[in-house]
Amino acid sequence: MTGARGNLRILDRDARRTSERAVSGVLFAAFAGVVIQLLVLAVPRHPDITLAISEPIAATSFSRPDIVDRNGRLLATDLEAPSIFADAALVLDRDEVVEKLSTVLPDLNGGQLLRDLSDRNRRFIWVRRGVAPGIAQKVHDLGLPGISFRYELKRAYPGGKMAGHLLGYTDVDNRGVSGIERYIDDKVGVDPVHSAVLSSRPPVRLSIDIGVQHALEDELDEGARRYKSEGAAGVVLNIKTGEIIASASLPRVDPAWPMQALDNKHIDRMAAGTYELGSVFKTLTLAMAFNEGLAKPDTLLDVRQPLEAGRFTVKDFHPSNRPLTVTEVYTHSSNVGAGMLALEAGPEKLQAFLKNLGLLDQMTTEEGPLAAPQLPPRWNRISTITASFGHGIAIAPLQFAAAAATVLNSGKTVHPTFLRKFDAGAADGKPVVSPATSQMMANLMRLNVVNRDGTGGKADVPGFRVGGKTGTADIAAKGGYTSNSVISSFLATFPTDDPQYLTFVILFEPKGIEETRGHRTAGVNAAPMTGELIARIAAQLGVAPQTVASTQ
Amino acid sequence: MRLLNIAAFFFALSSALLLYGLNYDTRRLEAEVQTKERLADDARSDIAVLKAERGTLARPDRIDGLARQLGLGPPKTDQFDSGREVSELDTRPAAKGR
Repeated sequence: MTGARGNLRILDRDARRTSERAVSGVLFAAFAGVVIQLLVLAVPRHPDITLAISEPIAATSFSRPDIVDRNGRLLATDLEAPSIFADAALVLDRDEVVEKLSTVLPDLNGGQLLRDLSDRNRRFIWVRRGVAPGIAQKVHDLGLPGISFRYELKRAYPGGKMAGHLLGYTDVDNRGVSGIERYIDDKVGVDPVHSAVLSSRPPVRLSIDIGVQHALEDELDEGARRYKSEGAAGVVLNIKTGEIIASASLPRVDPAWPMQALDNKHIDRMAAGTYELGSVFKTLTLAMAFNEGLAKPDTLLDVRQPLEAGRFTVKDFHPSNRPLTVTEVYTHSSNVGAGMLALEAGPEKLQAFLKNLGLLDQMTTEEGPLAAPQLPPRWNRISTITASFGHGIAIAPLQFAAAAATVLNSGKTVHPTFLRKFDAGAADGKPVVSPATSQMMANLMRLNVVNRDGTGGKADVPGFRVGGKTGTADIAAKGGYTSNSVISSFLATFPTDDPQYLTFVILFEPKGIEETRGHRTAGVNAAPMTGELIARIAAQLGVAPQTVASTQ
Repeated sequence: MRLLNIAAFFFALSSALLLYGLNYDTRRLEAEVQTKERLADDARSDIAVLKAERGTLARPDRIDGLARQLGLGPPKTDQFDSGREVSELDTRPAAKGR
């Protein structure tokens, strides 16, 4: 009896254990379900995946950081723009599509599109990329099956043609092709995107000040118009930091229409062309003579006789009938005087000096490499004489401006840059000229503006202590120089008691006008232009007039 | 043991109900996030357009023309004075021009 009861109890216990297990199993399954469901909720879903698979594979474009000026004002940005594409499989009537599209896009290559559409397997054919929203709406209103839109990024330049040369341009994929845009691709970085996703990179801050840039472009426009010149160019450079505050070349280019930048007339004359710049070069020759101890400002030079070199004779534009001091050689712009100083130094020293100034090697900025300098094949007596007054040696104007800035920066090498710098940076290497020579040159430039017989009198701006040097160079042509076309330029610095800024303005083939009594030398065109320019920009650059500066 | 099972059963039931609610909440929030992201994208795009428009409106050649129409021009040397004289204006008891 007890045995049977014992068996029953065992059975009962087994049954209970089984049912407990069943309940535990159910509960475990329930909890597992809860956990799984929680995990499912926790994992983020990508709704884009389905979209990406169903959409045809399109060419990748690039999102680019904005470009701003030194004060954060916008120069270039990305905008969303509609692009039109066709799906050949969905197009019902090819002829109708091409015909109707041509009404909205008159320059459409109809034949090519017709050929592309004839292949029914092509599911993605670009019709036109980056069109204006109005055009896209018109195409949409045509109601053509198989024609669709995508939004892509397109570069926009709110300033229009302003600083067009240095900004460069981008291609249809929004990749930089030239100028600062190219620099951004190479050094800053762009991000490949499949749709219109704006860049999250910080903007690229340039050294340009758009206020000064506008003043420069405006004065160049006005000067080119008044003196009927073929072109003009100019640069404003911070001597202490090497920052290019403004750089312009006429005729201008629109970065939104890159094709027009390709012809020779539209090149950036500041960087992409080399020119024999003429007498502005005497600034360097005299700096060398002072630095080598060959002369002092009051050293007398007998410039009455022309310099003979082989079959060439070098004489002055206005020959002097008395010996001139070195200061007068500069203010009268005597070619003979400069030639004599260069000969005294000798070709090796002149060459070494120009090399130290960086004029004999190709220079590179963020805009790209400058045109390589064209140098005399041999540094002999004649090439030394002509180089002393800026002939027989052709340099990109920006490169020359940097060399002149180095002379005025106590000899510390100035590396021109288009990027904003927040300090002067450490000087590299030995100064090219001594601080005393540098100050002497600044004084000489000032004298050339304030002296009654100086060539730069028209560049003076009362209060701003402007100093400068004129340059009028005959243009090299086949077999010699043309007698009736010149490049006139003016190199200026202010304030001369401690040079901060350098301007270099060039007019290409200016004509003599009534106002200049038919003259086309730099003293009557480039010099007054520089005066107007400095009067406009000095305050923007934070340079105080002398009356104010002396009381502070 | 039975008590534990009953407690677990109710716990499982309540978690299931909670999960049911949570599921709906999550879907709703996800939809909301997507809407907000779309709005943010649109806003970013609008900001880009507005920035470009502001850049166009503030271009110096445009402002230059407008300023000259108002009779304004680049500053002249005699318009500048030293900072010291300006700060003295405040301390002078009867400063001129007030």
